Amino acid sequence: MASRFSGALQLTDLDDFITPSQECIKPVKIEKTKSKTGAKIKIGEDGYFDLSTGTEQKLQKVEITLADCLACSGCITSAESVLVTKQSQEELLRVLSERKYTDSHGVSRDVGLVVISLSPQPILSLAARYKLSPDDTTKKLAGFFKQLGADLVLDMTVAEDLSLLEAQQEFIERYNNHQDDPSGKHLPMLASSCPGWVCYAEKTHGNFILPYISSTKSPQQIMGSLVKQQLCRQRELSAGSIYHVTVMPCYDKKLEASREDFYSDVLACHDVDCVITAIELEQMLSNRDLSLADVNGVELDRVWGEEAGIRRHVGSGSGGYADHVLMYAARQLFGEEVQPVYKNLRGTEYYPASRRNPDFREVTLEREGTVLLRFAIANGFRNIQNLVQKLKRGKSPYHYVEVMACPSGCLNGGAQVRPSQGESTKERVGELETLYRGLSLAEPERNAAVARLYSEWLGGAGSDKAAAILHTKYHELEKQDIALNIKW
Amino acid sequence: MTSKLDLLQTLSGHKGIAWNVSWHPMGKIFASCGEDKIIKLFSKEGQAWSVKTMLVDGHQRTIREVAWSPCGNFLASASFDGTTAIWDKKNGQFECNATLEGHENEVKSVAWSPSGQLLATCGRDKSVWIWEVAGDDEYVCEAVLNAHNQDVKKVAWHPSAEILASASYDNTVKVYKEDQVESDWSCVATLESHESTVWSLAFDKTGERLATCSADNTVKIWKEYKPNNDVGVMVPEGDSVWKCICTLSGYHSRCVYDVAWCHSTGLIATASGDDIIRIFKETDDSNPDAPTFDLVCKKYNAHSQDVNCVKWNPTGNNELISCSDDGEIKIWKFSEE
Repeated sequence: MASRFSGALQLTDLDDFITPSQECIKPVKIEKTKSKTGAKIKIGEDGYFDLSTGTEQKLQKVEITLADCLACSGCITSAESVLVTKQSQEELLRVLSERKYTDSHGVSRDVGLVVISLSPQPILSLAARYKLSPDDTTKKLAGFFKQLGADLVLDMTVAEDLSLLEAQQEFIERYNNHQDDPSGKHLPMLASSCPGWVCYAEKTHGNFILPYISSTKSPQQIMGSLVKQQLCRQRELSAGSIYHVTVMPCYDKKLEASREDFYSDVLACHDVDCVITAIELEQMLSNRDLSLADVNGVELDRVWGEEAGIRRHVGSGSGGYADHVLMYAARQLFGEEVQPVYKNLRGTEYYPASRRNPDFREVTLEREGTVLLRFAIANGFRNIQNLVQKLKRGKSPYHYVEVMACPSGCLNGGAQVRPSQGESTKERVGELETLYRGLSLAEPERNAAVARLYSEWLGGAGSDKAAAILHTKYHELEKQDIALNIKW
Repeated sequence: MTSKLDLLQTLSGHKGIAWNVSWHPMGKIFASCGEDKIIKLFSKEGQAWSVKTMLVDGHQRTIREVAWSPCGNFLASASFDGTTAIWDKKNGQFECNATLEGHENEVKSVAWSPSGQLLATCGRDKSVWIWEVAGDDEYVCEAVLNAHNQDVKKVAWHPSAEILASASYDNTVKVYKEDQVESDWSCVATLESHESTVWSLAFDKTGERLATCSADNTVKIWKEYKPNNDVGVMVPEGDSVWKCICTLSGYHSRCVYDVAWCHSTGLIATASGDDIIRIFKETDDSNPDAPTFDLVCKKYNAHSQDVNCVKWNPTGNNELISCSDDGEIKIWKFSEE
């Protein structure tokens, strides 16, 4: 079966991100008093016993949580299995029925509110699968989740809008910093909403590439902050009692949700607890002998006074980052209005290859023959490679690149429903593109709910609070060679 | 046995292991590489081969394979330092003018496509990469293929078409093609039959047959069947199916590390961990769908340690080069009596 992770993560070996190792700190972390002689441990049939206190004291069974794994770098178990059990349909169904969950730090909690956040790509994937309109699909999915016991089903447009607005602002700052300090690593700014790309960059290219990656959080993680920090207050609940599920187009998002950066020590919980993908939803429905068409639809919940229904943004089906940033920058920096038109890079100075490569496209803003801004969209792992190599050789001509690890971007995410028999991936992606173009347009600058959130919750755009809540950091992953990691 | 393999010359190749040799397409020069991180270029002066050039400082770690481009102007080297270097002598003498980076760790093999427009590499990170020659010292990544689930040992191109095969520690061989509609490369066939690591592989001159060699001590011959073929082999999906039509077992007592299929004579040479070089010849009455091969020559103690590589001279003059863990490179002449 094809992997549901992106190519970037398959190559780097998930075990490097999540892994209980034989050097794992967890199995030997024992609560004990200081001993002068060191510990004696007896291995009995039913567990390990610490003998150092004189009497046999049964040691707790080792439980390796996702957080332990993410903090480590070498492992003997399959990282994928750790990640995927923690964020599986089984786990989601269990939480919905028991109204209890164990978080990644091993803390058990009662669930007061189950919130589901829908992103547009998996909805379109399911719409194509069940031959429903995107609008019907959205309502029926909401109905399905409510049947299963979810309390609120939201759409993520608000978070997407916040992410785009922050990215636009960040670009202007980076552009200005670059003018003052051209050797500082301000440009090109590289999109950060794809966790496959971000994790690959952290592991393989580390501090060389990380400064270029936009600090703006992805829509999923902004939605996480909205739910766990804003909605919980609105509802007078503790953040930990909200179980937050996002519906996403790829497994890489599960890895993103599990990052320690998105765990709040103050709130003692993750922003997103579980990520469910289109392909898993298809399975959940088929396990129940259901077609999505059979489910009764309900309206989405609206908790921030937002408009109802999923929306599209100008630009790519991956969220439209390049288009939004370009249009905003053209207006702010040069007073120009642009409608981005991309060209395939085949045979150009910057991409001299003779072969078609529809996944590397660029667009420029020119005035009197001078290129003012040069933007690109690079999808798929091969183009990530080509971009990184250009950067390494100092040959990148770009100001901004929208980078996504999957070929064709997020509409073709690794965990979207597979094309039906006789249909090519390209045809399916084309169909999803058409559905996406048919959605009503979201305009971040005109979203009243977003404006209210900025003023009432974040203390205004550009405030310290907005920076703290809507931005994140990346870390170079240090390579450790431990014996069990060596593969011949 | 009716034939013999005469040793023409022994060359002190490399300090430590001599991993690989590659004939220049004209057959008058060859390159070698090894554990000592050096590439040596040999040519013939009178009757004797000698080192003409040494390429140093190209790699930080062991050089595992070298490959001449079909035009003979470029030499690619794959190294455990994770890079593939491209050498040429545009400026008079050989120098490294491009480095292909991207593999996570050890690169194990490199091969040029018949047109010289594409380059394939593979390695310990389980991936196979296809690069396009995109202009002066410019190479762009065309595809990263994650079909294998273990270390990929070797890549080899079809002799005339853009079809790539790879051999892996996962005991399988994969075949790749570019899908014209999707404009993307994908694995179109998995060849399963070997019971251990597949170390190397070689197409015959038509490209319809493929020889593979393995740590299971066998060599297997595979044939590609297209839909509606004469012999009624089912092609359930895709353009073709690869079927194992012959297994040479009982001949090798240790791993078979390399196999070379001469495109002129049709002879198959093998390099083995039992220090022996063997030559197989297809029998005159061989059935194309169940071929038979005779072991026509067995050179005991060809080297004092594992034989890593065998290569037929591309001109078809029956010259064979081998190299070994013992660091030596040997040039042989095969003759039928």
